[in-house]
Amino acid sequence: MKPQLDLIRRTVLALFLREMKTRFGKYRLGYLWCLLEPLAHISILLLLFGYIMHRSIPSIPFPLFLLCGVLPFLMFNQIVSRSLNALDANQGLLSYRPVQAIDLILARTLLEGVIGTVVFVLLLLGLALTGQTIALDQLPTLCGYWILLLLFSFSLGLLFMLLGHAYPESEKLIPLLLKPLYFLSGVMFPLALVPAPYQAYLLWNPLAHALELIRHALVASYPAGHVHGSYLLLWTLGLLFFSLLLYKGRANALRRS
Amino acid sequence: MIRFENLCKSYKTPAGRHYLFRQVNLEIPSGKSIALLGRNGAGKSTLLRLIGGMDRPDCGRIHSDKTISWPVGLSTGFQGSMSGRENVKFVARLYAKPHELAAKVGFVEEFAELGRYFDMPLKSYSSGMRSRLGFGLSMAFDFDYYLLDEITSVGDAVFRQKSAALIQQRRQHSQFIFVSHNIQQLRQFCDVALLLDSQGLRYFDDIDLGIAQYRAENHV
Repeated sequence: MKPQLDLIRRTVLALFLREMKTRFGKYRLGYLWCLLEPLAHISILLLLFGYIMHRSIPSIPFPLFLLCGVLPFLMFNQIVSRSLNALDANQGLLSYRPVQAIDLILARTLLEGVIGTVVFVLLLLGLALTGQTIALDQLPTLCGYWILLLLFSFSLGLLFMLLGHAYPESEKLIPLLLKPLYFLSGVMFPLALVPAPYQAYLLWNPLAHALELIRHALVASYPAGHVHGSYLLLWTLGLLFFSLLLYKGRANALRRS
Repeated sequence: MIRFENLCKSYKTPAGRHYLFRQVNLEIPSGKSIALLGRNGAGKSTLLRLIGGMDRPDCGRIHSDKTISWPVGLSTGFQGSMSGRENVKFVARLYAKPHELAAKVGFVEEFAELGRYFDMPLKSYSSGMRSRLGFGLSMAFDFDYYLLDEITSVGDAVFRQKSAALIQQRRQHSQFIFVSHNIQQLRQFCDVALLLDSQGLRYFDDIDLGIAQYRAENHV
């Protein structure tokens, strides 16, 4: 077991460093885009809704609210949507025997996780510098939800990679299905504001739970009575188990041309 | 030793299933370098990919107790937007211990003689330069079998000579599986032959017999 784990560790690290080089290499400002992209995203939402929402969510400062929605969601989206064609895009890498298909998703999750976390911390620091008080007494809880979200993204990414390989059409369909998820996950509105019958439907979505829980962990006064960590945990474990099982069954077929 | 057990491989094509191998049973003894003979499209590269573990058979299996390189071809596993050095580093991270990394990169840099191109994106390389990098990269690691897919035929004369010398030296403890249309070269480096054509896969324990058969059947 030990040498195998070591091989996976080395492979994932090699893929991680490689992805890091290729992801922003072609852009002029390079890694700065990690920061600029979500910043632009948040700024636009802030401009659009800032005034209205500010009055309707008294429990949390609006920029902080957006930050806790946009960043985790973008992180999830990066991992999941680019997993669909992970095999096609990296076919050449699979010629090296140590590289397994699952390593591609692991490395991607790790890279997006690191980028997302660093950017989140930087933007939080930025907010703190502009006079926003940020309470960190729930830091372990926050980290827990953050890791759970990453694990959830990894599991879904793995599933999507298998789907994309078995049914190439899914590369067209799944991005379409992912688009409404942006609205259904409450990136730009708090679920507490959604009227009763509709709120229950939105609460089927584990991603909505993740975003609300992250907000609650940062701002204790933010209402989170309607969301549950255990729901997110169950979804994540179930999906992880299912994806891994499916991967085990399909591992040979993934290599067959 | 490399053993094929009930090996089958086919492809789905619009015109129906195309069979490359049906129930092949063969054993190639240790210590023999192998020439893969066959016309274009006979399935030589597919066989290399199967041996290299990159592709999986429909049924049966390939068994070996030796370490086998990846199929070293002109385009395998390189990322065009990364430099030669970065590509080499990536593979070295996969196959070597961290403290050997610098030595491996140094070996490839010296052997491939790409000069400034070593730090330029791979998409700016000519096919000769790609082959120098690909061949040099595989030679940086110790395998029992190296799988070479027409890689030695594109370089210039200087490089061909240099790689021939290295292959001869390596053959003292490693073996090669060659795909090449250069019969002279195959005769120089290989001991046995696998002939791949419409009659399936046939093994010749003498390279000259294999080449003679190949020539007779194709009138060349």
